[in-house]
Amino acid sequence: MMDELDLLKKDWQNKEEHLPKLSYNDIHTMLWKKSHSIVKWILIISILEFLLPHLLYLLPSMPESVIIYEKLGIKNIATGIWIMTYVVIFYFIYQFYKRYKEISLLDSAKDLMRKIIKVRRTVKHYVIFSLSALFLTCVMIIIGMYFSDNLMEIFPTDGPERTMAPEKFKSILIGSMAIISIGMIAVMAIIYFLLYGLLLRKLNKNYRELKRLEL
Amino acid sequence: MNKELEHQFVKELENNQNIVHKVCTLYTNDRDSHNDLFQEITIQLWKAYPKFRGDSKFSTWMYRVALNTAITLYRKSKRSIKTQDYESVIFKIKADEYDETEEQHLKLMYKAVKQLGDIDKALVFLYLEDKDYREISETLGITEVNARVKMNRIKTKLRTILNP
Repeated sequence: MMDELDLLKKDWQNKEEHLPKLSYNDIHTMLWKKSHSIVKWILIISILEFLLPHLLYLLPSMPESVIIYEKLGIKNIATGIWIMTYVVIFYFIYQFYKRYKEISLLDSAKDLMRKIIKVRRTVKHYVIFSLSALFLTCVMIIIGMYFSDNLMEIFPTDGPERTMAPEKFKSILIGSMAIISIGMIAVMAIIYFLLYGLLLRKLNKNYRELKRLEL
Repeated sequence: MNKELEHQFVKELENNQNIVHKVCTLYTNDRDSHNDLFQEITIQLWKAYPKFRGDSKFSTWMYRVALNTAITLYRKSKRSIKTQDYESVIFKIKADEYDETEEQHLKLMYKAVKQLGDIDKALVFLYLEDKDYREISETLGITEVNARVKMNRIKTKLRTILNP
């Protein structure tokens, strides 16, 4: 076998003339093309992940929700969660930036993969954190609803619910709130894990193989 | 200054482009993907170029960036379709240099190498490029002993692909 691979080596080194040849200009135009590397994708997706939840606050209905928090009696807790969330978000952005900067193509393949996985892990923790924060907020709202006696005033409605018994209105409201919360969080989690699963499938496979070698 | 760096880089890459083409040949199956990967490697090389100090040879430095791009950063574009004629162009073996059985054998060998996984291909590539085990192990980030062990396993794997 040794001889065969060496035979291949000899042929390999002889067949350079069959390789394509690009001109100076061909190469020069390539310098300004956009990269499609997974590192670039991780960066784009992460920026979206950091930005998207905050764009929600631009919706006109958002200031109203603050009033609802106030009426439900959870304003202080909600504000506390918000402040904490921002502190943690800035910590994540700092971590992300630091680890992203560490990525260098001049490292060995294994180190490069390890660093990319570290960046991704930061994003993963961030997503788990924000989904938990979202979950917590939803739970707070539900608890607030449960202890509130005037839900019909807080959520004014013109529909047939107006004539409904307050108890029934409350359970319907809490029930739908719970279903919407869980559904929203589940959909976000699925999209996230699917996205990264597909993006990093090759990298994870190769990294596992390199690590297995060192056992 | 920037223009000068740009010119210097393109000139160096033009002279050493064979290394990148060989990596593309091993890791892609059609012309479109080949060009796509070549472009990605060029972008990555250019991005890393300011950090290239010249304490190693340009070509040595290229091997690492090119392989890292192929194994780690590059995602195959969806449109890649396997075309048979492409392989026969790239792996064309001159008929007058070899007798027929040898030519057949080489073709089979190339085919077998193309079937290997990404990491195995990288090892074979560096081996075919006449790199020693120290450089192979440093490029991949494994120990020299493990690089040798892995290489022996690949040889066995190739043997089973060739003689099922």
